[in-house]
Amino acid sequence: MSRLGYVLSAAWQGFWRNPVMSVASTLTVAVMLLLGAFFVMTDRGLQAAVGILESKVELIVYLEDDAKPTDVLELRGRIEADPAVDAVVYVSKDEALQRLKEIAARRPELAIETVSTNPLPNTLEVKLRSAQETRRLSGLLREEVGRGVVYDLVDNPTVVDKLLTITSVLSIGGLVVLGMMLFVALFVIVNTIRIAVHARRDEIEIMKLVGATDWFVRWPFIVEGMLVGAFGAFVALAAIGAAAGPVSNALIGFLDILPVSLGPNFMVQLAAGVLAFALLVGAGGATLSVRTHLAK
Amino acid sequence: MIDGEDVALLRRSQVPHLRRKIGIVFQDFKLLPTKTVAENVAFALVVTGHSGSVVREETDRALSLVGLTHRRGHFPRELSGGEQQRTAIARALVNKPRILIADEPTGNLDPVTTWEIIKLLVRVQELGTTLMVATHNAEIVNALRQRVLHLDHGAIVRDEKEGLYAA
Repeated sequence: MSRLGYVLSAAWQGFWRNPVMSVASTLTVAVMLLLGAFFVMTDRGLQAAVGILESKVELIVYLEDDAKPTDVLELRGRIEADPAVDAVVYVSKDEALQRLKEIAARRPELAIETVSTNPLPNTLEVKLRSAQETRRLSGLLREEVGRGVVYDLVDNPTVVDKLLTITSVLSIGGLVVLGMMLFVALFVIVNTIRIAVHARRDEIEIMKLVGATDWFVRWPFIVEGMLVGAFGAFVALAAIGAAAGPVSNALIGFLDILPVSLGPNFMVQLAAGVLAFALLVGAGGATLSVRTHLAK
Repeated sequence: MIDGEDVALLRRSQVPHLRRKIGIVFQDFKLLPTKTVAENVAFALVVTGHSGSVVREETDRALSLVGLTHRRGHFPRELSGGEQQRTAIARALVNKPRILIADEPTGNLDPVTTWEIIKLLVRVQELGTTLMVATHNAEIVNALRQRVLHLDHGAIVRDEKEGLYAA
């Protein structure tokens, strides 16, 4: 039997020598990974939703009727120069009235009385790149109110604000829960491997006596830890795979305003990430566990 | 000093390589009960990173040296005490050590088997391995008439070239 063969078969035997403990740690890892994957997916979904809403965020700047065109152009130039701004569109009084009439034509409950003067102001519609900047920019523009150019300002970033709050709360909460789960998973793996080390203490003693290196003694346990991680990852991914269809159907029914699609590419990345993380946690827990034993 | 190296100055990572130059045999054999005779002997080669063909050849050689080729497929519990100790000696020799240390190798054996093991150890010595036996058995020491180091509380109190056992 070769060296690699020895490491693999010792790891496999080690895993099944104490099946209850191995299955318990596998399931703990699986639950941790499921939670992690759930947070990543939710975060992705919410970020996509924020992105879509952000593209719709606008500030409307009402202009004074008697503002000088040069002042308006100067203001428009200043707004456009801001890095958070995507585009600024000038909508004249007449265009605004025209739009209103078009809307009224489609909605019979709105009747436009013939008015002698056009009550609508000239406006600048400011499209933003990032919703996070809304507050800052509206603050700046509000200072312009009453200086002869800007008459009033309309911003409505509350939906985006709420979504951003949810996203950040979820991210922080997710990280905290994930951290606790990671601790539990490591604890269970460390103890599983400790039992495996104990079961093979005679073998380890002889290995060291005949001159096996510390790494040679360690490898079967590290591979066993990685087996726990890999099995946990498969359980978690199978659960995600089984739940993906019904859950996304339910979500589409629930959130049909938001065309949020995570896509196959994302799922491949998620699966690879989950597996890599699981292997890392398994190997890390096992290394922690044998380190104390080998130091003796 | 072993083989020109001061063992007190060895780094931890070098200790396994030193151990490969030393074969050790114990009073209680220390065989793995779930492995056969051949697997127990081969284990010392596998865990020190030898390839499959070397493992097979050297295991066969060591088993024939101790006269256990016909028992290679048996488990330790199916062997007599003498056979178990011969398996342990084969395992200690399979890495071709420079020194063989035997710690009370006959402590668990009856008188007849004791002499079998001693004869085997003397044969190993004749083949060129330095042999060091720790024993309380006066008969063995007196019959062999080899260099005797007398230890008392960890200190050497006597060193004779062809010594006898002294109580």
